[in-house]
Amino acid sequence: MNNVQQAPQAMTAAPKKKKKKVASLDAKKSRMGWVFVLPFIIGFVIIYAPIVYDSILYSFTKINIVTGGGYRLTWVGLENYQEALFVDSTFVTTLTSGIKQLIFDIPAIVIFSLFMAVMMNAKMVGRAAFRAIFFIPVILSTGLIDKIDQSNQMLSYMSDTSAVDMGEGTTSTSTEIINAMDIQRLFQNMVIGEELLNYVVGLVNDIYDIVNRSGVQMLIFLAALQSISPAIYESCSIDGATQWETFWKITLPMISPMILVNTVYTVIDAFTSADNQVMNYIDQVYDQPSGNVLSSAMSWMYFIIVMLIIAAVAGVLSAYTFYQRQER
Amino acid sequence: MNSQNTAPKVMKETKNSIRVEFDRTSKKERMRIKYLSGSFVVSVVWAIFRYVLLIGLAYVVLMPFFSKITGSFMSPDDFIDVTVKYIPKYPTLDTYKAIIEESGYWEACLNTLALSLFCGVVQTFICSLIGYGFAKFKFRGSGLLFLLVVLTMVIPHQTLQLSMFMKFRYFDILGIFNFLGGGVSESIELLSFTSINLNNSYWPLALLSLTGLAYRNGLYIFMMRQFYRGVPDELEESAYLDGCGTMMTYFRIIIPLSIPMMITIFLFAFCWQWTDDFYTTVFFTSSGMKLMPDIIMTPKSLDTEFAAGDLYISAIRNTCGLLVIAPLIVVYLFGQRYLVQGIERSGIVG
Repeated sequence: MNNVQQAPQAMTAAPKKKKKKVASLDAKKSRMGWVFVLPFIIGFVIIYAPIVYDSILYSFTKINIVTGGGYRLTWVGLENYQEALFVDSTFVTTLTSGIKQLIFDIPAIVIFSLFMAVMMNAKMVGRAAFRAIFFIPVILSTGLIDKIDQSNQMLSYMSDTSAVDMGEGTTSTSTEIINAMDIQRLFQNMVIGEELLNYVVGLVNDIYDIVNRSGVQMLIFLAALQSISPAIYESCSIDGATQWETFWKITLPMISPMILVNTVYTVIDAFTSADNQVMNYIDQVYDQPSGNVLSSAMSWMYFIIVMLIIAAVAGVLSAYTFYQRQER
Repeated sequence: MNSQNTAPKVMKETKNSIRVEFDRTSKKERMRIKYLSGSFVVSVVWAIFRYVLLIGLAYVVLMPFFSKITGSFMSPDDFIDVTVKYIPKYPTLDTYKAIIEESGYWEACLNTLALSLFCGVVQTFICSLIGYGFAKFKFRGSGLLFLLVVLTMVIPHQTLQLSMFMKFRYFDILGIFNFLGGGVSESIELLSFTSINLNNSYWPLALLSLTGLAYRNGLYIFMMRQFYRGVPDELEESAYLDGCGTMMTYFRIIIPLSIPMMITIFLFAFCWQWTDDFYTTVFFTSSGMKLMPDIIMTPKSLDTEFAAGDLYISAIRNTCGLLVIAPLIVVYLFGQRYLVQGIERSGIVG
């Protein structure tokens, strides 16, 4: 980093003496690398690292704003963590249900986005239009709009068929797209268990949410699908493989690295998004008087748990991931 | 193609090329083979299935927008009337008028436009710079540094909410201001302050953007890095041979090459900054400056209590949301194709 200024002149002359001094050319070039990433290093050292450090620090302290500028921290050890776990009655239940929700959502979103990517990769009329529609949520349903949608009674009213019916005396009050009873009847003879049943019903009813949240994953899968060489498919079809077999034997292994990437992305996205109930709860705590340090403690706890989940998921998936040897 | 006469074999002959018409099976036969086979039936069924599913899901995506749009034109009477569902019987523009007048929409629009444009442009450029550095230069610790980039992507900003606020409320560069201002020892007092309050200005977001730390910048850096890895080294080498420095090569060769990718990043950055409500609420706590989150409110002139009041209030909120994203829709329609292309080109895939 110290020798950064010398590099530019050296670069121009470098190719001439390439044979003699390969190592020094590399060294000079690598110094230029520091220049390019310099903004990030500066930001990380000056802003980000102190922020992270402070945040961890705050979770162990109580904070007092001193009149006349400045603030004073009092070290309280694990008190905030204890308060979050044992005193605050809602945090633990929110946390467990939030994590359960997260674990159920991951496979749903990943499988759905893969499915949609395969559909939209096929040549068909109106592909561009469909793509445009499905990527609307990526851009438009974020941040504020997401927040508005959280408490949106219009939507449930609009998709609610009962509002009109009630005037005519019917008793249906279902606001869901499908009724749990319908599926129950459908799966009457299958022994799939109550839990799984509720899961499927939940997924179908949350389809809007799932479509909304799988936009980026869809993009990534689509790009992955397009990078698979057509020659492989061609040789497959010559060998007489059906589309079904091709999908399982070729497509899936080829994009398995992206399944890993998308799973991790889904966890991170779900965990940082505005509709995450744990995060919402932490936000609420933040707004309470003297709740800001408590919220720091809570979010670090949550962060560690989510990291463990990511590590577990990545560990399991990477065992099944197929990497094609590629020489760049 | 469907030439019916079978007699002439040679259609056209020139010095270099010859076109010959062969005997073909009859059109009827060909049609029969093509359309009456199992694979054709399968493909038709598959196509129908696909379209039904895609149209259904497109409905799921578009429906909320549609309902928001129709809801925004409804008057209070429409909400009491249970027969009104989508199409208002008494359409009105009052909601729009009230929101635009009372919430200072244009002011918020201009402020947010300035902020988002600035952040978008700066983030695009900085992330491209950093991504290029990671992609093309092997230096000691680059792997570790990249891990740090991933770390900034993974730690949710909500976790850092408090300390981020504090950092910019009492802004200080590695304790230098504190030291110079006499915070450490009384004898040194070169500055009259020990820290700067940067909140309620564009500064926090500008600084975060300039250092590639703002919202999802880790993702942009990652995308840019993957894109630049796909750029052949020979391009740069030839530029070096022609006497370009590294910086010159970057500006003259690499940037023009990555314009489509940069448009993608800019779109993301601009739109996500526009609808952002996290940074704006953390950093703009008590300023008079109107930004988009301030638009989401219920205008006083419309705040009434009646049977379907809840629905009406949420319709008003939806209208606010529509007003927020109205400019973005224009941007999206323009830039949508770059979005897909950009991700494809980024070759996150490898």
